[in-house]
Amino acid sequence: MATSSIQTSPASKMNSTPGAFPSTPASAEAPSPSVVSSQLSLSQAVHQRRAEYTRSRRIKVKVGTWNVASLSGTEKDVGGWFVDGKGVSESLSGLDLKDDGEPRSNGHNGSPDIESVASQEERRSKKRSTIPKNDPGFVPGGDEIGLYVLGLQEIVDISSVAEALRPYSDPHPGRKWKQAVAESLPHGYQRVAEQQLIGLFLVIYASSEIAPTISSVSTTSVGTGLGGYMGNKGAVTARIVLGETTRMVFVNCHLTAGVEKGNLERRNWDASQILQRTKFDPVYDGGGVMEEFGEGIGDEDFAFWFGDLNYRLESMPGEDVRRLLMLHTRNEYGAHGAQQPSSKKIENELAKPESLSFSRNQEAANRPSENDTSSTHISVGNASDPSVASSITVLPSQESLDPASDPASLQTTLSSLLAHDQLHSQMRSRKAFHDGWREGIIDFLPTYKYDVGSVGMFDSSEKQRGPSWCDRILYRTRKDRLDYDQKVRDEEMARKKDNEMKLQGVVDAVTDESVLFDYDPETDGADNENNAVNEQSPDPEFMTTKAGFEDKLSLDYYKSHQRVLSSDHKPLDAVFTLDYDAVDLEMKARIHQEVARELDRAENEGRPVVTIVVDHQKETDSTHTDSSSPKFEGVDFGHVKYDHVKTRSVTIANTGRVPATVGFVDRSIESGRPGGVAPPWLKIDFDRPPDNKNSNPGALQEHTLQPGDAVNVELTLHVDDLDLVRRLGDKVETLEDVLVLRIHNGRDYFLPLRGDWLQSAFGRSIEKLVRIPEGGVRRWQHQRPDGSSHGDEGVKWSAPREVFRLTEAIEDLVERALAQWGMTGDADNAPWDKDVGWPFRGWLMEGKQRAMLKETVREGLDSDQPFSETFPPEIDSLQRLEAVAETLVQFLESLEDGIVTEALWLELEKGMLEREKARKTLSEEDERMWILDTLSNAPAHSVSFTFVTFMLARVGNEVAPWNIPLECGKAEGVPAQVAPRMKRPEVNAAYAGIFADAMIRLPAASKGKERKASETRRKHVVEVFLKATLDDGS
Amino acid sequence: MSSRVSTGARPGARFAQFKLVLLGESAVGKSSLVLRFVKDQFDDYRESTIGAAFLTQTISLDDATTVKFEIWDTAGQERYKSLAPMYYRNANCAVVVYDITQASSLDKAKSWVKELQRQANENIIIALAGNKSDLVAEHPDKRAITTADAEAYAREAGLLFFETSAKTAENVRELFTAIARKLPLEQAGNRGMRANPRQGVDLRPEAPGTQGGGACNC
Repeated sequence: MATSSIQTSPASKMNSTPGAFPSTPASAEAPSPSVVSSQLSLSQAVHQRRAEYTRSRRIKVKVGTWNVASLSGTEKDVGGWFVDGKGVSESLSGLDLKDDGEPRSNGHNGSPDIESVASQEERRSKKRSTIPKNDPGFVPGGDEIGLYVLGLQEIVDISSVAEALRPYSDPHPGRKWKQAVAESLPHGYQRVAEQQLIGLFLVIYASSEIAPTISSVSTTSVGTGLGGYMGNKGAVTARIVLGETTRMVFVNCHLTAGVEKGNLERRNWDASQILQRTKFDPVYDGGGVMEEFGEGIGDEDFAFWFGDLNYRLESMPGEDVRRLLMLHTRNEYGAHGAQQPSSKKIENELAKPESLSFSRNQEAANRPSENDTSSTHISVGNASDPSVASSITVLPSQESLDPASDPASLQTTLSSLLAHDQLHSQMRSRKAFHDGWREGIIDFLPTYKYDVGSVGMFDSSEKQRGPSWCDRILYRTRKDRLDYDQKVRDEEMARKKDNEMKLQGVVDAVTDESVLFDYDPETDGADNENNAVNEQSPDPEFMTTKAGFEDKLSLDYYKSHQRVLSSDHKPLDAVFTLDYDAVDLEMKARIHQEVARELDRAENEGRPVVTIVVDHQKETDSTHTDSSSPKFEGVDFGHVKYDHVKTRSVTIANTGRVPATVGFVDRSIESGRPGGVAPPWLKIDFDRPPDNKNSNPGALQEHTLQPGDAVNVELTLHVDDLDLVRRLGDKVETLEDVLVLRIHNGRDYFLPLRGDWLQSAFGRSIEKLVRIPEGGVRRWQHQRPDGSSHGDEGVKWSAPREVFRLTEAIEDLVERALAQWGMTGDADNAPWDKDVGWPFRGWLMEGKQRAMLKETVREGLDSDQPFSETFPPEIDSLQRLEAVAETLVQFLESLEDGIVTEALWLELEKGMLEREKARKTLSEEDERMWILDTLSNAPAHSVSFTFVTFMLARVGNEVAPWNIPLECGKAEGVPAQVAPRMKRPEVNAAYAGIFADAMIRLPAASKGKERKASETRRKHVVEVFLKATLDDGS
Repeated sequence: MSSRVSTGARPGARFAQFKLVLLGESAVGKSSLVLRFVKDQFDDYRESTIGAAFLTQTISLDDATTVKFEIWDTAGQERYKSLAPMYYRNANCAVVVYDITQASSLDKAKSWVKELQRQANENIIIALAGNKSDLVAEHPDKRAITTADAEAYAREAGLLFFETSAKTAENVRELFTAIARKLPLEQAGNRGMRANPRQGVDLRPEAPGTQGGGACNC
């Protein structure tokens, strides 16, 4: 048994409670505990409230079946009997027996208006309806019926081999029938299902009110004919769902014909095949989802099995049955009809010598001895419910003559014949249709086989086929089937218990008085047989459908239409009243909207929320002179200088009720700008490791915050990329950006960043530097980026003032520093002793302090203030010297073009190469002249070069003078100072190495040996200037 | 994992999910329109949006069709303009809002429309919303852009057009419903459906790394 898929889907569990979140903290693997309303959760939430949008509904369902024997003209009658309910013979179908069998119109009973049988038979033609004229219709029809279900057999000639072996069904006959039914139906009825298999045709129509409530229609065919598979026998089946709640199955079958025992077994086999092989498409459940598995017969709430089941009367000579029945049908013709061919035939036959083995007289004689009618009548319902059984049969004690006990009555005849009905016996012996199937009381004549065109003449052909109730309408509710299953289980239990008892010892079991239950399968089983066939329960109870609704089905009419003459079978129909819970589409739409709104609300309110607090720092230098609003909502870094680190902190707090996973995401990328989470000048550090610590460094970092939790983020701004410095200096770029903080399943927060770039001399070209006005590069602070209004475009200086100022400061400071060391320092441990490159490397100060002091030096340069004023007074000369010296090296390195540009260098190198080739050497003096001469094409460069080399020579002289004789030093007993003086060439070499690299730009292309040679030459160019005794030259 | 296929309460029922982005000059009422649509509320004073608010709202077109909007309400301030592509890049529809009492806001709206038509998904449905119709109802002289002008522009540019009031709710639901009706439900019908909400199409802006989303199971 399929369980409801709603309870088994894991997805549905997750969504069953809107607004619910996992109680465990979200892990890094599952960071988003979202309540995303999908179609699934929405429709399931709607489904859970189905009680609010279902209301009980009552419709009538009419099921009709007719074997039309591929006779033309039959389609002319279908509207009359099936839709209008006409053609029932009141005298031959016990109409006057039933309490609710009141004629549907006054005057019907014996009304002279209704056409006589004689006249009806007389006028019969294939071109016209054979339905009696003026028949008001006994069975409810027209627009009283919500659902018309018609099953036809033999709409094509299935006895023809060509038809039986057809690989497909000819649609033409079906079309003819659809047209015939549609024409008879009241306006608005729609065809909701149809299925054809060769001669089998099933079509369902619904009223305009019911049709839109029908869903999950699925139809199928099962052939059980030739070879067990051909479609000359079998079934066509439809499954529909009514009102989104009630599953109904309709089986129209044509089982194997014949009276032989083998035919009977084949019919049972056909039925079992139809049960096994019928498979429908999955149902769309109320949650809007297709169920996983298709259904078969048995999964529905209500099933209707009808058609030409072909079960016969057994152990009864057909001849006897004919005679017996024609005793009743002869009366139909009356005085006027005596000349009718049918009537004559009947009378002729009845006039034959009495050969009835089962005559009316015998029957009449037998009756009184059988007070209990149930032995010839089909017993009903459950053995445990005797009230049901008794309510079926009318008690003999009633005042009116009980037709069932009237030996001459039709009902008595029918009851005696029904005792021989194969279908009932198969049901009783549980060989077919035993699992819960019911049938209404049969109070009409066998539907087969008549002479075409006759109301009451049974087959007068040579074969004289024995009349039988071949055509039947069975039905079954879900409860009937479940009850049957339970009964089988109970019996199985009993059998087991009995076997256990036998194993324990039969003697004990028999003697033990406490044994409450003693089951003998032989005798007990026989008892049950009589109760196996269910008839309609007069007062059906509500039962629970597969989808959990309360439905009720009751049979109102079960009639054959004896006065339909166009086929050798009489048509048969049954009308049911179905009470069911149907979905009201309007109410459902309203609930749907409500639920959607609630889910949206839960989803929107359940989103994570964070609060971002920017820790504004009091910045002495962040007095913006521009028009920026004071309430800048982002992170303001204030003034930003070259190579100066600034930090700001931001706190992200989870101020919502659910965990929040946050992370900075890639900002949108404008063309030409680098993307990523942050601009290159900014670093983001969380004060805790990310959720996924092991992710590769490139992955976005995410942090999950529990409600109330907060994380601190440090934003570090550092501009040291010279290319960026240049672009900032040229104002083609600004220190403005926006970070995007994403809250998973929530909103994005924008965090604007802003820094105010202070102009720097670093990174510029000599040509630009010589244009810096008095007052320093900061004077350019508020100029426009296009540079069009560079206050004064003119050249202000012969060489960059920065070079002049730095070299001058070094010359000045080196003397003081040495003096200072002489006074206070450790004579054996002078910095220049430790590193011959000092003060341009090998510094005493630590990096951090140097960085701070270098900023001071740069500030002095950029704002054109004397270093003596920018340095804090406690900084001594030695420290100042180191800071200024390092700044000079870095400044020269930062120059865009270099003091000796690539072009100038190529020219110098060319001359040097020529001399090398010619093995010519110049004197040092001549070489210096030649170099300066070569550089003189670029005066600012040449002057800068001179400043630097002159300064280096001076510093060299201070640290390691040439003119102090070695011996003298030794003699005077100052050995500590002797060593450095010996090192002057080494000092020169060190200085030359540092400054050649800082000042002279080699082509980037040169590599390997060639570059090594160039570097040697480059160093030589500087070194040659350090050898001069510049005291003389100055 | 559920193996059920969801194709509707009955054949033909549809559920589709779409990403919608709101664009427009600062203070034209983008967030107010969303607030009215989603919560049926209005605040006279709303702080400007710094970021992109994310909300969802489901509407039923008829008993068989449900459309869920994932709404990204973006900041209108100029400084955030460069971030807009993050939100309109994968959007199925956009509402470009202007203020009918501010002539400049329509120019801005036009430039957004241009940008969308150039840069966004080529099938994007764009609606133009002239907000603050309530102001004009009280003081007709406050109107700076005539309905006819805006309508003519919208027709020319192939946009849906509504004059709305987030304050009185006028045309707000109509605006979103009109968009939903214009969306390609047939195609999206399938991809909006998912048996497991953790799967399916993530219509939010693309983000590398662990951001959800990925394969569509249609």
